[in-house]
Amino acid sequence: MAERFDKRILKNGLVILGEPMESVGSAAFGFMLPAGASQLPAGCCGAGNVIADWIFRGASDKDSRALCDALDGLGLHRAASVASSHIIIGATLEAGNLSQALDLYADIILRASLAEEQFELARQLAVDGVHALDDNPRGKVMLKLREQFYPEPLGRSTAGEIEELEALSAEKTKQIIEDKFNLSETIFSLAGKYDFGAICRQMESLFETDAREPAEPLSLADKAGLYSHIHNDSAQVHIGLGTETVRPPDKDYYNARVAVSVLSGGMSARLFTEVREKRGLCYAIGAKYHGMRDAAGIMCYAGTTPEKAQETLDVITAEFNRLVEGLSDEEVQRAKVGLKSSLILQSESSSSRAGGIGTDYYMLGRVRGLDEIKSKIEETTVDSVLEFLRNNRFEDFTVVTIGPKQVCVNK
Amino acid sequence: MEFKKEILSNGLTIIGEVNKSAKSTAVGFFAKTGSRDETLQISGVSHFLEHMVFKGTEKLNAFEVNEAFDKTGAHFNASTSEENTIFYAAVLPEYLAEVTRLWIELMRPALRDEDFNIEKNVIKEEIAMYKDMPSFDVMDKCRNFYFDGHPCGNSVLGSTESIDNLTAEQMRDYFSARYAPNNMVVACAGDFDWDQIRSIMADACGQWQKRPAERELKHYTGGKKQKRLEKANLAREHICLMSPAVSAKDNRRFAASLLGAIIGDDVGSRYFWELVDKALAEIATMIFGAMDGTGLFCSYIRCSSENVSKVLDIIRDIFQTLSENGVTNDELQKAKNKLLSALVIKNELPMGRLVEIGFNWQYLQQYRTIDDDVSAIKAVTIDDIHSLLEEFKPGEFTQFSMGPAR
Repeated sequence: MAERFDKRILKNGLVILGEPMESVGSAAFGFMLPAGASQLPAGCCGAGNVIADWIFRGASDKDSRALCDALDGLGLHRAASVASSHIIIGATLEAGNLSQALDLYADIILRASLAEEQFELARQLAVDGVHALDDNPRGKVMLKLREQFYPEPLGRSTAGEIEELEALSAEKTKQIIEDKFNLSETIFSLAGKYDFGAICRQMESLFETDAREPAEPLSLADKAGLYSHIHNDSAQVHIGLGTETVRPPDKDYYNARVAVSVLSGGMSARLFTEVREKRGLCYAIGAKYHGMRDAAGIMCYAGTTPEKAQETLDVITAEFNRLVEGLSDEEVQRAKVGLKSSLILQSESSSSRAGGIGTDYYMLGRVRGLDEIKSKIEETTVDSVLEFLRNNRFEDFTVVTIGPKQVCVNK
Repeated sequence: MEFKKEILSNGLTIIGEVNKSAKSTAVGFFAKTGSRDETLQISGVSHFLEHMVFKGTEKLNAFEVNEAFDKTGAHFNASTSEENTIFYAAVLPEYLAEVTRLWIELMRPALRDEDFNIEKNVIKEEIAMYKDMPSFDVMDKCRNFYFDGHPCGNSVLGSTESIDNLTAEQMRDYFSARYAPNNMVVACAGDFDWDQIRSIMADACGQWQKRPAERELKHYTGGKKQKRLEKANLAREHICLMSPAVSAKDNRRFAASLLGAIIGDDVGSRYFWELVDKALAEIATMIFGAMDGTGLFCSYIRCSSENVSKVLDIIRDIFQTLSENGVTNDELQKAKNKLLSALVIKNELPMGRLVEIGFNWQYLQQYRTIDDDVSAIKAVTIDDIHSLLEEFKPGEFTQFSMGPAR
């Protein structure tokens, strides 16, 4: 099947990307607005969540309920998330309703009512979301890990900080929206069934504005330290561990992905085998590549009862360190097949493709085709992965634990 | 899409839905067994057995099983509920035969003592993990409280004690009784050659022995009870509400799903406008859960301790208003739009179709196309919704909550 990507850049710089999918009746779209957690002014941690809620509480001539009814009337499934770099709002829906949905999203992005009384409610829900993390130690440990692992402001909590949320005003938040919803740096991505010509004409009439200057590049501070523990009388100790690796544009990106996959790609991968199958230390154990434009890490999670926590951490770090000592042909082959297969399985879903092409464009300035990714994965070998590991040794591990017991972190 | 079916003489049902335009294929075994088929002495055995299936056969050890799957790049997993244990994989078409053969082999596992003893630790870790997920824990505890001795209230995971006491011998007995071919369906969806897959299945599974595998079905009508559990390390109040509904076989299940969405979809529902939009609760959802011979409306609400009584008052008002005034045409139409688009999106993936055709066969012995379900949802009238409200009175619920000390 020939791959095709559609691309158009409006005069103001807004990027429109599309990937047509022949066999689906749905369309999925997302607006990547450059207002993620790391982009917010200092002291406003969590404002992204307030914004992602507030802008849906009425827009243009519609009040909150009328807007919600209009969206529901299209049967669309909303998705809104706050990442380090962007607030992403979008939806998956039956393709026939796409044009009406875009009209509504233009209202939400450009003409949200931003009423003061609605602000208080949006802020309260964001505060509640932070409190609720205390009852979700697994989610919380990974947020805390990013905070500690990435140089500030890259790892800033996407959920927010209670004190900063409480100090946030409607006026300040409005200002953030005005400053950060910069269409010249916005990426709109779409996948599924659509007519690109019609989409571009509609997008142009909805979003063409004067171009604006891009935001200042971030200045990055140092990391926050190697180990921290949060006490909680939970049943398990929740362990988050991160270590640095190459970023998505790096020439060694695919070697890094294969290395992580050998470590934790499937059930035959090393972490699952050593930690769970051989020793029965954990139920949940896994490591993932986590890439941002300005930094990347391998992030690992394990949950285990307190008396096994130390052994679990020791086995995990030993497995990270053992990678460079040697890889078998079979395990590299399995890792490669696993990566390629995930790629193709994900390509069947319009929402994962819309997300994928948007992220690609932001990270790399272009969209990678499936064939390109497949051949890059194919090019990796035991030797190339080992050479990458030798040149990029795991210098240190950033660790966060939540639970009744601390662990001792060795190099 | 083309539907295929064959029932072997030992009772194993093989079904398939061929869709040549798919890029992948999904294959899975559906065993009609779960915690409701357990006695108290073997509580948790269905789920533990699901783990043990991956520990291999007489010919394969656990490491070889994992390698065999990973070699194909399959996305594979398994899950156990109160009434089903399913094993499934999504693969690229060229690996389908290999993965199908592997699943078939695993459906006759070795259940070795040494694997059983190591995996016991993993199961106990899983139990501990869910204890730290109060949104899950509260539903599990509410189900047990609501069903009050009815087998549908049995815990899927079991308890640390029941798992400690379980023996490999008990598991082997349970396996022989429940994984009989006549109690299983094997299904395939996506791009595949039916004749090839059917013959692989028929050849390899044909000699499995038929055995009686019954399940006791009785409807359960619930009760109006309340209970609260204090846990010092919790920050929020987690509330679960359960009340009776129609069963999976009942044609009113579509109306019940719509009623669930009208009351408790995560946006635009009654709960949403009265609780979440007003920031009194962070989450408030209700869903309809269809089961074998019975059914449930189940709500989950999370809020601060200060808001608990206000939230519960509002919930009572919501149900009171519903029973007095019913729902509007407009909200029924919105619920339909949401359900219809969710249905279409889910069914675009072979994995989504697999689960759909597998469960339809397990519960209904029927093949339903996506269009059949679309028509059934469209046909629901406001009177259908109102008669459900009248008959099942979802406002008369059992309430279980967990939260910090007051």
